[in-house]
Amino acid sequence: MTEADSPTWRVPPRWVLLVAVLSIVAAEVGGGAMARFKVELTRWARDAMLARPSVHGLVGVRDVDERILDEALVKFDAGLRLFHMHAEGMGLVIIATSMVAATVIRSAAARRTIIALLTAGGAGYPVGYLVWSALIPSCGLERAKTLAEWLVWVPFGSATIVALWCLAGTVAWSMMARRRT
Amino acid sequence: MTGRGLVARTTLAALAVLAAPSAPASAHHVGAYVPKDNAVTTNFKQVKFSVQAKKYDVALRLFDAGPLRAEMRAHAATLPPGLEDGTRAALAAGDGPEVERTLMIFFAALARDLALEADRQLARPDATADARAATGRKFLEAIWRYYNLVDFAVAMRDNKSSVAVRLAFDEAESYVKPAAGGAAPADPAGIRQPLQRIAQVLSNLIDSSSPTPRRNS
Repeated sequence: MTEADSPTWRVPPRWVLLVAVLSIVAAEVGGGAMARFKVELTRWARDAMLARPSVHGLVGVRDVDERILDEALVKFDAGLRLFHMHAEGMGLVIIATSMVAATVIRSAAARRTIIALLTAGGAGYPVGYLVWSALIPSCGLERAKTLAEWLVWVPFGSATIVALWCLAGTVAWSMMARRRT
Repeated sequence: MTGRGLVARTTLAALAVLAAPSAPASAHHVGAYVPKDNAVTTNFKQVKFSVQAKKYDVALRLFDAGPLRAEMRAHAATLPPGLEDGTRAALAAGDGPEVERTLMIFFAALARDLALEADRQLARPDATADARAATGRKFLEAIWRYYNLVDFAVAMRDNKSSVAVRLAFDEAESYVKPAAGGAAPADPAGIRQPLQRIAQVLSNLIDSSSPTPRRNS
């Protein structure tokens, strides 16, 4: 391999790296807090749900209500876990994909747009799990999921997917262009 | 292939994998919930498996210290008299079939009480069709969780009752299942009739399976 053949990777803008690192830090802090305050969080969520029986469809019979509360608490915990996992993973995805974008996209406007979409989408999407989890005790399982979906998952997830397809298209285009020359 | 070409191909493949959503955008991964046993059903299974292994001393210890006995006490008013003492005596005597019979009566009584309470709640005139269907579904789930534990024992002693409960349960479910397109079921109030049938069949089963109290005349 000659010097000319070896790829020269470009570092993405500093603010992108900062957002990615903050996302990973938030994931670690969230994971640690989730384990440290598990009992307190569960107690808070349970009390909040018991204070809104109609929202959760509680019927006042222990044999029926315990199952409903258990499902809501399992999902509440799952939301916190999924935030931890996604924020950690998406931080790395932001760094990797924005580095590719900074390296392969020649047009400055397109490069800036794709990097912005990748960063905003990657950092925002995991927050949806935190929003979902936080809304479960007050809004109920389905309503909380709908809110998280339309407020966070759909816009930020779509931004990431669109940016990734644009980036994949750009890489493919540059490969074909190189083959023709 | 040059180094740059290899990197470009690898990058393209990785981007394609990242960008390919594995499910529709609305189906975000939010985990799955698998209903767990509650304290009573867990203790029942512990006692049952100990009896099946002929470890009656273990079964007695689990029964004495567990929530099954506490629940029997809590429901004493709606259970045949002496059910708790009878269960304990059967465990102490190592009488497996008698333990099975008393526990069958207990869980049949729990399921019957839930069916009666469901019928009472569904009779409220102020509830919407959606709320009735949701309440009905939750009660059916709770009834089945208890009845399912003793259905085999019921079928061994009184096959007709077992079949009647299961048929009534299937019918009740059909009244609260969401209609096509996720719409509310057409007539969730219809669930009351099969619920009443479940309660009636289980009451008869409890009466016929409980020894008649002796008269001292």
